Amino acid sequence: MNSPTKPFSGRKGFKLAFSGLSLLLLILVSVPLLRMILSADPEALRSAVADREVMDSIFLTLRAALWATVVCTVLGIPLSYLLARWNFRGKSLVQGLVDLPVMIPHTAAGIALLMVYGRSFFLGKALEEVGLDFVGTELGISLAMAYVSLPFLVNAARDGFLAVDPKLERVARTLGASPWQSFFRVTLPLAWRPVLSGGIMMWARGISEFGAVVILTYHPMTAPILIWERFQAYGLKYAKPVAVLLILLCLLIFALLRWLAEPRKEG
Amino acid sequence: MLRLEDISLNLGDFSLDRVSLEVRQGEYVVLLGPTGTGKTVLLETIAGINHPDSGTIYLKGSDVTHIPPEGRHLGVVYQDYALFPHLTVYANVAFGLKLKGMTRGEVDRAVREMARFLGIEHILDRRPRLLSGGERQRVALARALVLDPHMLLLDEPLSALDRLTRDRLRGELKRIHREIGVSILHITHDLSEAFFLADRLLIMKDGAIVQEGRPEHGLSRPKNRFVAELLGMENFIPAETGPEGGLFLRGLGICIPDPLQDSAKRPERFCLAVPSWAVDLFPVNENRDYLSRVDMRIVGLDRTESVMKVHLEHPQGARLTAILSWREVSGLPFPLESGKLVRVGLLGEGACWVPDD
Repeated sequence: MNSPTKPFSGRKGFKLAFSGLSLLLLILVSVPLLRMILSADPEALRSAVADREVMDSIFLTLRAALWATVVCTVLGIPLSYLLARWNFRGKSLVQGLVDLPVMIPHTAAGIALLMVYGRSFFLGKALEEVGLDFVGTELGISLAMAYVSLPFLVNAARDGFLAVDPKLERVARTLGASPWQSFFRVTLPLAWRPVLSGGIMMWARGISEFGAVVILTYHPMTAPILIWERFQAYGLKYAKPVAVLLILLCLLIFALLRWLAEPRKEG
Repeated sequence: MLRLEDISLNLGDFSLDRVSLEVRQGEYVVLLGPTGTGKTVLLETIAGINHPDSGTIYLKGSDVTHIPPEGRHLGVVYQDYALFPHLTVYANVAFGLKLKGMTRGEVDRAVREMARFLGIEHILDRRPRLLSGGERQRVALARALVLDPHMLLLDEPLSALDRLTRDRLRGELKRIHREIGVSILHITHDLSEAFFLADRLLIMKDGAIVQEGRPEHGLSRPKNRFVAELLGMENFIPAETGPEGGLFLRGLGICIPDPLQDSAKRPERFCLAVPSWAVDLFPVNENRDYLSRVDMRIVGLDRTESVMKVHLEHPQGARLTAILSWREVSGLPFPLESGKLVRVGLLGEGACWVPDD
């Protein structure tokens, strides 16, 4: 931990410049959202809440992203731990592979997914035969969301594991813990906040995903696709209440989860 | 208790080179070596965290080379103590007991008994973050000792502490060793810590044990200059074989008798090593039995809280350092100042020759 400081209060130029530039960026981010929320017509919002199609699509989006996050957390924790602790040949390749979905256009990712999980490829066909259909289903939405948002989870969890001193695990072993016990009693309890925080980021990224989802599963419609469709078909006036509703719901949930993941001061 | 035979391990930056050592039942062995010499790697290899490339580790007579750390029953205390930050002191100490499947009552009894022994009863509810260095060390010791380990492995356990706490806790380590009788392997780079605690001293350099012996014997005959320097010797005077098996000291231009009286084993190139406490200024001790007396000039003075270091130079080039207690300094009939010519006596006690490497 850094020791607290009380800097000399003269020469304010540096702090002022940095604060000013930061403020500019915060304005860039918050003004469009604020304008949208503040200009929302309460009547239109009420009717959006009452609109079955809107609420269904919002819940579908939240649910699909949640499933994607839960499954990827189970699979992603071992990978994150591996990247944090072990050195192996091709580690940078694996790390690059994890980051890849952030770089490629998500519509392209959607097409790549369609080519593997679609019926034209043996894997997609085989999975469909055992009841796992990824095209035009909620499962497909989760898959597309998972594919493009996984890096947020893996990278955050990896950094979380990196911050746990490996000596703690070694001491646990000398105290009689197996590698499993040392992981579940020492490592994970110390890294759960970054892992949860990565999960929240992944969920958020999944909810907002449009490109990959729209290629793999247009129907049933997730909220971002519904907003797009209303905007295309009826114009801004009809798209806006759905967008505002989605933003408000997301803000509420994320504020709650962030609060949970925030480290608190202990007595 | 513990026996290592030809343990080798290459970890890139650190390696162990055919290390063999033994710690006997109830013995306090200190492994002394400079930083970066592979001491921690060796300790973690004994603990089972590293797997050696070759060699065998015996614990209580059985081969444990391929047994993982959780099967070795060794207590490890690291320099920064590695307390689990998410657990209270109580839960830290109880960690290993719970893994053993003991009942809650048994765990509680064992934790409280150990806490009483180490004087940490009053901090059982606290988190490690809020403890002082000394308290952390006691908790780390309690966590290891409560499991009644075959032996304790201590990795520089006193280095992270301020001097007063360190002096108090090394006395505490001695008490624990005396009262519990547990065998201890303690690694350090600190000479006074090693001399204070060790029944036996091992000296390590570049991943290999270069010398071992009782602390008092280690001083009388270091194997080479590295060991002599590690043991605190500061004065090395280039020498050659003089008449009648004596030593001719270049730089002082004098002949002295061989302090070790062992001319047969002397290598071709060697120097005389003299501890700083064996260099006297006259008339501190006029009646002592000196190897030789020479006149030298004071070229520098360094003060510490307990001693004065006097740096001396001979016209023929030799440089020596003398250490005088403050009482000795105040007993001198002349003030110590740079440039002054003084008579210097070299004590045979503690002096020896070492190969000049």
